[in-house]
Amino acid sequence: MVFFCPSIPRLRLLLTRPKWLLETTYMERPIFQPVGTPVEELDTPALVIDLDVMDRNIQIFQGYFAATTAKARPVVTSHLCPQIARRQLDAGGTVGGIAVTTLGEAEVFASAGFSDILLANQVVTVSKIRRLCALAGQTSIGIAVDNPDNAQLLSSGAVEAGVELRVLIEVEAGMGRCGISAGVEAMKLAQRIERLPGLKLDGLMGSVPGPKVGDDPAQHEAKTKDNLQVVLDTKEAIERAGLSVEVVSVGGTHCYAQAIQMTGVTEVRAGRYPLMDHRLKTFLPGLNPAAKILASVISHPIDGMAVLDAGHKATAPDQGRPVLEGIEGGNATRFSAEHGIVELEGDAQKMLNTGDKAWLIPYELGASVNQYDYFRAAKNGKLEGFWPISARGRLA
Amino acid sequence: MNEIYRPTPGTPMEELDTPCLIIDMDDLDNNMDVIANTYAGTSAKLRGHAKNHKTPAIAHRQIRRGGTVGGICAAKVSEAEVMVHGGISSVFITSEIVEPMKIDRLCSLADQAEMLVACDQASNARDISKAATARGVEVGVVIELETGLARCGVREIDQGVALAKEISSLPGLRFRGVMSHQTIPDMPDREDRAVEAARTIKGVIDLKDAIEGEGIPIDIVSTGETWSYDVAAEIPGVTEIQGGSYLMMETHYSYMTEFHYAGKILTTIISTPNPGIAIGDAGVRAVSSLSGMPTVFDRPGVTVENMDSDHSVFKIESGASLKIGDQILLIPAQQDAMVSRWDRFIGLRKGKVEVVWDIQARGCHN
Repeated sequence: MVFFCPSIPRLRLLLTRPKWLLETTYMERPIFQPVGTPVEELDTPALVIDLDVMDRNIQIFQGYFAATTAKARPVVTSHLCPQIARRQLDAGGTVGGIAVTTLGEAEVFASAGFSDILLANQVVTVSKIRRLCALAGQTSIGIAVDNPDNAQLLSSGAVEAGVELRVLIEVEAGMGRCGISAGVEAMKLAQRIERLPGLKLDGLMGSVPGPKVGDDPAQHEAKTKDNLQVVLDTKEAIERAGLSVEVVSVGGTHCYAQAIQMTGVTEVRAGRYPLMDHRLKTFLPGLNPAAKILASVISHPIDGMAVLDAGHKATAPDQGRPVLEGIEGGNATRFSAEHGIVELEGDAQKMLNTGDKAWLIPYELGASVNQYDYFRAAKNGKLEGFWPISARGRLA
Repeated sequence: MNEIYRPTPGTPMEELDTPCLIIDMDDLDNNMDVIANTYAGTSAKLRGHAKNHKTPAIAHRQIRRGGTVGGICAAKVSEAEVMVHGGISSVFITSEIVEPMKIDRLCSLADQAEMLVACDQASNARDISKAATARGVEVGVVIELETGLARCGVREIDQGVALAKEISSLPGLRFRGVMSHQTIPDMPDREDRAVEAARTIKGVIDLKDAIEGEGIPIDIVSTGETWSYDVAAEIPGVTEIQGGSYLMMETHYSYMTEFHYAGKILTTIISTPNPGIAIGDAGVRAVSSLSGMPTVFDRPGVTVENMDSDHSVFKIESGASLKIGDQILLIPAQQDAMVSRWDRFIGLRKGKVEVVWDIQARGCHN
């Protein structure tokens, strides 16, 4: 009866919309197709994971750490998905914890039940330090520090909240961004942190630059070793000063082969290996892309060109263009905001007609993942379910 | 999604957790007013592109403020769904919709609002006709002509005329007109832009004339964008302008000084590892680098040197300084790729939060 009473519109609204719609900011609206739907029939653009390929990647990569002192610490920023992180920790070869890049990500994974989280980044404002310390009251939190004043602020926050923060000193190791200078500077910071209440000095962390497509593997390997050595030398300097360094955490995925051979490294932060991307393909040839973007051709206006419904917003080619898979002579050459352009040469000129599907391999995995709310998880070419990318957009 | 840190009205900018996407409300209102004034006396009006803001609240504000046809453009069916469900009564999807499932959703929307869609192929028109007939709705169809972007659109006038004839004969469709979209290099001078607009828009006017010459009536000639918003409206025959970027603005259009930079990323310095360098907490995941790197807003001596996924490296000239905790505003080279990464806009007036708008069509790629 109330449903048809126009005089109380607000009540009508409450009755006709489910409660969760009133409480939730709903964003991407995936068409919920039934489990078992062939992946090529999914509404596009769609970010699809082949679960078998992903599990194999996890087995292979984490297998590298089976007999080593150093273990893997999965960086979940690459997939932002607790279900995948769970599978990583279950597969062995890890330290049992994860690494994140933002405080927002740490909050999502803490509430998903993860109990050892390294926030491999700086948190500097009073408001965020409060959030960080609140989180440290629920779960074990590690934080990167590269500045003595910041250490002081973190200490005050931790004392006020009655918690202890695990601290890793971030040493600049070739990335040219955050990180204190290796050696004496880092050692002085360690001594400072050692004296601050609420902070527990765990050790050091460093990030070393990854390769780009076209880099020479041998040269890259040599450069990586040099960068890692900088972190290990700093460990020695701090130990000489009488402080203990339990953790030496280095990243990312690409440096594992060098890192596990170097004595003193205790963990390798790695994120890209479960799903992989084009950028790391030649450097990790044993692993295969497990996450791909399925797109539809919306126009084939002339021979030699097809237009896809996946453009810049659906692929995020900020650091490199995704690669068209499986069409000899076909190249994805342009991504405007809403459209992807494929150029087709030779026998491919008349391929990819309106309504056809195309697969794109992301160049930079984390960027593409951040454009979606769900992975379409698939097995044997059939839909298994929608996996929430729970930490998507949690940049703050 | 992220409902926890929604700032309350009155919160000063300095207290916002970063990175976040902000709109300066004075600048937004200015940009809307420029449009309202420009189209006050013209027959052509704006059909603002919702792909640039993805937010029904902003679409309604834009329509209320004036100078528009009373409807909007959208790039995707899912984006159109958000707008129609958000109360917008006329939506033009400026991309081709070809998959059967999406055509069905388009037809469902046509039952709730006036729906227009771009088309460049007869088989697609027939598919939409079948679905519309089955549902008992009418879908408005606009033929897209390619005029320089080298992507969708018919290439020849004859092709367009033949398609118009076919569309006019199909049940469930109402042939509405023609559209084109074009881009230009930086062109600060209005006269230059007028000449360039006349040149690039001539094609779609020719197509209109040719179709009308066959006795098929046309009521929509939709073209233009931010760079041509004023000059395209002076071209006889043009009925609608598809502007969108002007609303938030981007450095791509820096020469259009009547529009202000309304949409920005607020970022905080988290590290100052070496003299002359500072690290911010916003990377390309926050800003996007479509059309180029973002630019530091109103902070002399500080420039963006580099950006990776979650960090930016700022270069500090001598005389300028940055310390940990300082806030920096970034303006994008291209704004809609940036907006599409955020769950909400934080609207500030005079440095204090006035409104928080959910970007309801964020992630609507489908």
